[in-house]
Formats: sequence, C-alpha cells, structure tokens
Amino acid sequence: MRTWVIVLGLAVALLVQTVMIRVVADGTAPIDLVLVVVVFTALFRGRVVGLWTGTVSGILQDVLSGGIVGISGLTKSVTGFLVGIVGSELVVSTIWHRVVVLLAASVFHTLFFLGVHSLLGTMMLTSAISFVLVQAVSNASVGMIAAALVWIVPKVVRRVRHRRTLLVRRNWIMG
Amino acid sequence: MAQRQRIVYLVLAVVLGHVILISAQVNAGPRTSVLESFTFGLFAEMQRALTSARDSVVGVWSGYVQLRDLRAENEMLTGAVADLEYQLQEQRALARRSVGLQKLLDFRQVVELATVSARVIAGDATPYFRTLTIDRGTGDGVYADAAVLAPKGVVGRVVGTPGRRASRVQLLIDRNAAAGARFERTRTTGVVMGGDDENSLRMEYVSNFSDVHVGDRIVTSGTDGIYPSGFNIGTVTHVQPGSGLYLDIRLDPMLEFSTLEEVLIVVSDGAIATMNREGE
Repeated sequence: MRTWVIVLGLAVALLVQTVMIRVVADGTAPIDLVLVVVVFTALFRGRVVGLWTGTVSGILQDVLSGGIVGISGLTKSVTGFLVGIVGSELVVSTIWHRVVVLLAASVFHTLFFLGVHSLLGTMMLTSAISFVLVQAVSNASVGMIAAALVWIVPKVVRRVRHRRTLLVRRNWIMG
Repeated sequence: MAQRQRIVYLVLAVVLGHVILISAQVNAGPRTSVLESFTFGLFAEMQRALTSARDSVVGVWSGYVQLRDLRAENEMLTGAVADLEYQLQEQRALARRSVGLQKLLDFRQVVELATVSARVIAGDATPYFRTLTIDRGTGDGVYADAAVLAPKGVVGRVVGTPGRRASRVQLLIDRNAAAGARFERTRTTGVVMGGDDENSLRMEYVSNFSDVHVGDRIVTSGTDGIYPSGFNIGTVTHVQPGSGLYLDIRLDPMLEFSTLEEVLIVVSDGAIATMNREGE
C-alpha cells in the first residue's frame, strides 16, 4: 500500500464521513470510516506507519470537528500502533481475520476515546456499551465490504480477463 | 534491539505530544490556529463540491426519473411551511415582547433580525454528531458566536473562526454548548445544555421550588448575548428534584438535528442586544 493510496483513502474517508453518511443514514450512523482506513493501513504497513496514519487522521478529524484537538489523534495513533503490532505478530491474512481485528480495534478505540472525554468531562454517553458495540459492528461491516471490493474485485476481473484470453487463443487455434 | 528502542521512544513522544496538546487546550480553552483555519477552509471547499455533486445526482434522480411535478410542489410547500413556522416563531416572540412593552407603555421600534440562509454542506468528522459545516462565512457577514436558527427552533452557534465561504456550527445538543433559556409558561429562567445522550438536552440552574411540568415549552431568554429571546428550544420530558438546590430537567429538542439541511444565521450582532433589551 503506497503512501499516496493512504492519503487518498483518508481524504475519501473524511469526505464520505462528513458529507455522505448524513444523507445515507440521517446522520445517525455510528461509523468511523477514518478508523477503518487506519486499521487497514496498520495491518498492511506495520506499527510505525499505523502510528503516523492514526496521528494525522485523528488530528484532522479533531480540527474538522471543532473540539479539543488531539483526542482523536491520541486514540487513533495508539490504536494504529497496536493494530500494527497485531498485524506483525499474528497471521491475519484472510478477510475474516482482518474483520475480527477491525472489530477489536473499534471497541478499543471507542472505549479509549470515550474514556479520555469522560476524564475531561466533555462527553458522557449513558448508553456507552450499546454505542461501542454498534459502532464496532458498523465499522467491521464497512471494513468487510471495503476489503471485499479492494481485494476480491481485482481478482475477479483478472480471472475473467484470463478466461477471455484463453477463449480467444482457443478460437484462434481452432480456426 | 536499537530499532525497537527507537520505536518505543517514538510512541512515547507521540503520546506525550498529544497529552501536552490536549492539556494546553483544557487549561486555556480551544483556540483556532492558522493551520486549523486553513485545513477547515480546504475541506469545506471539498465538502461543498461533493455536496453539490451529490445534490445534482439526487436532483437528477428524483427530479427526472421520479415524479417531477410532485417533487417540485412538495419542495415549494415544504419551503412555505418552513417560512411560516419561522414567521410564527417571530410573531410569538414579537407578541411576548409587545406585552412587555405595553406594560411599560413605551412603544419603541422593534428591531428585526438580519439573517442569511445557509445550506448544511457537511456533518461531523467523528461519529459523535455534534457539529455541522454550513456554506456561509465571513464573506456573508457571519461572525464567531453568531446564532444559528431553523424554522422550528434554535440550532446552535458558530464556533471557531469562520472561513470566508464556510463556518462550523456547534449544535445545542453538544455537551459543551449552552444557551440562556426560560419557561414560556412561568418565565422562570435557567441554562439549557447538551445532554448525555444523542439528541437530548438538559436544563440547569432551575430551583427545586420552581413550578415545572412535563410538556412545558422552553424558549431562549436572550440573557447569554448570543441567541435572540423567544425562540423555541424544546419541551420538558422529565423533571425531578435534583440532589442539590436545582431540579433535574431533561428536554426533548424541537429540532431533528440530524436531518437539518437549511438554517438561518443571525448576522446583526447589535440587533440582538436591542431586541433582548426590549423583550425584558
């Protein structure tokens, strides 16, 4: 995964998060697309890139939200770093493994985020557990779809092209 | 080994940097830096473009493929209803002010609020829905702390330094937002703040001895110097004696914040003070 792909992914995630989710789900969907990008980046590029991606994306989210700058930066950088360690120490090669990591990372990130906000007294959710779980499942679902699109679609396209090439060759040989 | 040590130092430095950054803002309050303004302005332009593209696609789909005439009529009627609701609120506020003026036998000229309409171009960048981005900025007369209203009630205020063509609005349901408020029935005053749950409000500093019922309507009092008086905030859904001197009051906001598309921004700072003085 090249650096420009990560930057593009973050920009798209932020734009979709702020503009499209309001329309698709009336602004109520607890999805964090930026976290999905951070987790996948950390899985593919390791803990240091995960750390930096988390820092940059978190600070951008804070700046755009108008709250205290640094809270999302802190929580996302730590999450990115930990996911990077998991990615390097464990075998997470299939989509299902990655979705499980995303699910765990979402739970950790949301609890960490709400914890920091509770310490500062800036946000308190009375139904925090259900919120954490719903967000984790939403993130994992989006991650699964994104992973499927990114990794399965090119494979399918390659296979179709390969078959077509074989068919053309056979027709050419046959006559 | 040396590389592992370097990584540990890097993580510690990043965490420490964030903690220092957060601490500085908690102690001194959030300030808008040039970098923040630039980033916000840049993203606002991208959000504006994406919103326009999205609206175009939605417009083409629903305008030409679906029932075109019905949609146009619906839009016109929705706009008319929104206008009427806003006018009704203004009239109610005017009527309340008129009563006060009649009592004083001092009929002074009522200052009308100067407002500009704005379109919501983006929501919050985090899943914790608390801010909106609108397509009006300093170029349209928008200033920091300007009140933002909707036909059904108060939306919030402009926070941070507005960009030239975009501003960020802190919603009233944000836990850190507050507005001077009063009960329409008893005229008892208090402060409305964002609640703990999504889309909820709470009212603070209302004495345990006050006469408060479920269903009571809350409007702005104008005492905060930001919101003009008499605009709808919400209705009481829960009231019980608090642990201290004040009642524990929860409100249901008049607005559905997540579906807001158009808002009005008050751009005449001086007019609010005059209006509120006359309302008292």
